[in-house]
Amino acid sequence: MGPYLLRRLGFALLLVFVVSSASLLLTHLASGDITTEQAFVMDPAARAKLRADLGLDRPLGAQYLSWLGGVARLDFGRSLLYSRPVGELLGERALNTAILAATSLALATLIGVPLGIYTGSRSSGLGRSAVRVASIVGLSVPPLVGSLALVLLAARTGWAPAGGMTSATIVDLSWAVWIRDLLAHLPVPALALALPLAATLERLQSQAIHEAMQAPFVAASRARGVSDFDAVVRHAWPVALRPVLALYGVMVGSLFSGSFVVEVVTSWPGLGRLMFDALKARDLYLVAGCAAAGALFLAAGTWFADVLLAWADPRVRSEGGA
Amino acid sequence: MNRQPRALLSVLLVGAVVFTAWLIWRDLHPAPSDTAGTPVATAPGAPVRGGTLTASLRSEPRSFNRLVQASFPTDLYSLLTQGKLVRINRATQEVEPALAEKWEVSADNRTYTLTIREGVQWSDGQPFTSADVLFTFRALYDPKAASVLASSITVNGEPLTATAPDARTVVITYPAPFGVGIRLLDNLTIVPKHKLQAALDAGTFAQAWGAATAPADLISLGPFQLARYEPGQRLVFDRNPHYWKQDAEGQPLPYLDHLVLEIVPDQNAELVRLQSGAIDTLQQQVRPEDLATLRPLVTDQKIQLLELGVTTDPDAFFFNLRPTQWAKDPRGAWMSRKEFRQAISHAVDREAFANTVFLGAAVPIWGPISPGNQRWFSPNVPRYGFSLDKARELLAGLGLKNRDADEWLEDEQGTEARFTLLTYRGNTSLERSSQVLKDDLRQVGIGVDVQTLEQGALIERMLKGDFEAIFFVYFASDLDPAINKDFWLSSGSAHIWNLSQAKPATEWEARIDALMKQQVATVDQTERKRIFDEVQTVFAENLPAIYFVAPRLYMGVGTRVGGLLTSILRPQLLWNADAMWVRGAAVPPGAR
Repeated sequence: MGPYLLRRLGFALLLVFVVSSASLLLTHLASGDITTEQAFVMDPAARAKLRADLGLDRPLGAQYLSWLGGVARLDFGRSLLYSRPVGELLGERALNTAILAATSLALATLIGVPLGIYTGSRSSGLGRSAVRVASIVGLSVPPLVGSLALVLLAARTGWAPAGGMTSATIVDLSWAVWIRDLLAHLPVPALALALPLAATLERLQSQAIHEAMQAPFVAASRARGVSDFDAVVRHAWPVALRPVLALYGVMVGSLFSGSFVVEVVTSWPGLGRLMFDALKARDLYLVAGCAAAGALFLAAGTWFADVLLAWADPRVRSEGGA
Repeated sequence: MNRQPRALLSVLLVGAVVFTAWLIWRDLHPAPSDTAGTPVATAPGAPVRGGTLTASLRSEPRSFNRLVQASFPTDLYSLLTQGKLVRINRATQEVEPALAEKWEVSADNRTYTLTIREGVQWSDGQPFTSADVLFTFRALYDPKAASVLASSITVNGEPLTATAPDARTVVITYPAPFGVGIRLLDNLTIVPKHKLQAALDAGTFAQAWGAATAPADLISLGPFQLARYEPGQRLVFDRNPHYWKQDAEGQPLPYLDHLVLEIVPDQNAELVRLQSGAIDTLQQQVRPEDLATLRPLVTDQKIQLLELGVTTDPDAFFFNLRPTQWAKDPRGAWMSRKEFRQAISHAVDREAFANTVFLGAAVPIWGPISPGNQRWFSPNVPRYGFSLDKARELLAGLGLKNRDADEWLEDEQGTEARFTLLTYRGNTSLERSSQVLKDDLRQVGIGVDVQTLEQGALIERMLKGDFEAIFFVYFASDLDPAINKDFWLSSGSAHIWNLSQAKPATEWEARIDALMKQQVATVDQTERKRIFDEVQTVFAENLPAIYFVAPRLYMGVGTRVGGLLTSILRPQLLWNADAMWVRGAAVPPGAR
């Protein structure tokens, strides 16, 4: 198992390097740079000087090498947009995204997996049909529409704040108040992220349970007089967990690297929004930094899922060790 | 799928359709008394002192230093917290005293002697003096500071000079008589010498007061001071206790205790927040497609929908008129001719355009100066009324006829009358406008291939001259044409159809150059208007850019807000934030 996980770790680091480099190079290749927006208010000489001051007039290779040198020292450069170190900006936003991602993941799991077990272990019934329809709707609705619908619902009914991460009035109050305020703001963005994932998990878990229920060892357990509940939860579910765990890696990565749409619509100050702003403004180093953070989360998520999978399934351990 | 899921899905779909139909019906049938533009429930009574006003902001400030950053959030920050010697009242468009209580102008109209108000203090208690003004001019023109305001505060490219005989007197000398006069100083944000001199001396002024600066280090001369900046979430301002201004009753301004700018990047979410009462006002005008959504709330007296007037920054459609663009292209023989552009202007039904793109909330226009700019608008420019026959006649005069079986015109060499039009991706009115233009020109046999680009990519293509035609919006910095001369002069960096020419490429551009230089140097305002009317006429005859309609702008604001003075320029309400007030607490979400 050790060599297997080490190999996956090496792959993860390679992924971070390739994704961040590609982001920087592709952003550089796109038309325009951070000074483009100012083109109508600066005379051409002043704009040229600004480009030179920011190092944007250097050849692409020179810019890339100097950025790589910085990355080797864990310095991701300075954001051209905010005139601040990229690392500092990433630190601020990564925590916000992590709070949202962890909540969404927990919600998606708590909703999707039990419902998947429920629908997979039944061959008919109104409840099963209702859950399947809800899942199809959840899978079909684009995140933009889902987010806007939740924001609208929150605004019209007042069941939760319609956006943002905290209220303007809670600064200087106690931690307990801050956490309560944060929890009040979480439902809208967390549900917007969690519902499509819960639908995915439900469908996947349902299918896996359904297949596992057909396996001879489940039939054998039933023949031994094991209850329906135990046959599903203690015998079929562990086997049906593998495809779900495999998906977790990708889910964790995509969640923790932030969602452009949900964070923009719900005004959540996370990594996804930061990257969106950086891309719009052609902030090379911030784009590369955000992409690196996203890739790091993706790699960590995949690696974590690999560990879980290796723990849950002996076949993976033996494959890895071979 | 078995029967049960199908039945459930059908019920859900039917429910969704019925609900959507009801929403549409409700929006299309407002109450008869509901008239957009007539505030039905302006907060009554005398101004109320205290409270918090919450507005939205679409993006974050990149810097708190207005001299080095031109973005809207920085400009807004500057309006709320900084000061100017004089300011243009954005409601009346007249100049009024600000930090300078009075001024005198010399007989040759070149020297302005301004007297600074007595007792004005920065928010840290330090006195504001003429030394701060001199320091601001030094920073403005310091090449290392690379100020974005430097080029706009010049006369014929030459800087102004400033001297200070004493602590309350500033003498500003223009290198030549300048028609704009003292209004030019409305562009100049004063910065504190005692806080920023070290940065200017060290050559780091461009980085000073960056977005990461602690609020305690940012001092204010305006009505508010920044108390907190929570990146990605909000800026919270407190009243500046040292602000110099008072109301007519002698009460100190501003009325508000706090002003919060909530950062809401998505325009749909911003609208929802206004509807729910989570914010009191939007960053900018309501989109035409959102008016129907807001009208029921106006009827219920939950919000006010204020008509700001006709925009002064209409969308412009223009061809690339650089001679090099068409030198080797057979289409150049007719594409760069003014008759081709006149034919296009004839081919577009501006009334239908206004109805389709702006749902009727727009007026036809014939040049870049819309009726919204009342002072400089000329109604007497040549007009090209909707006439497909006239359009076809002009095109035929250029040798463009349908020479084969398809629907498109061709020239004598068989080259099809077709061009590629670039526009902003995500700008709904520009995308719709491009589609309407494409459909209208199809009727006269001209093909248009619309390509949408992200804003930065489009501007870069324009700067490089790598385009055939563009449909976009250019925001003028001021209503006075002399301050936007970069648009009019052939050498200008915003002369969008052929940027920064070494010498005028055409006779009519040379004529506009000469007229504009005369207009800029003329002090008599009536004569300036006459000259500028002629500029507009030459422009409309040659149509380097074609303008179709100018939308009417509306602003949504909560009914608890008072002291509103609207402006057609951004920020439409907060430019006068020191006189705004609120009644009662914000409505909690869900109460509406």
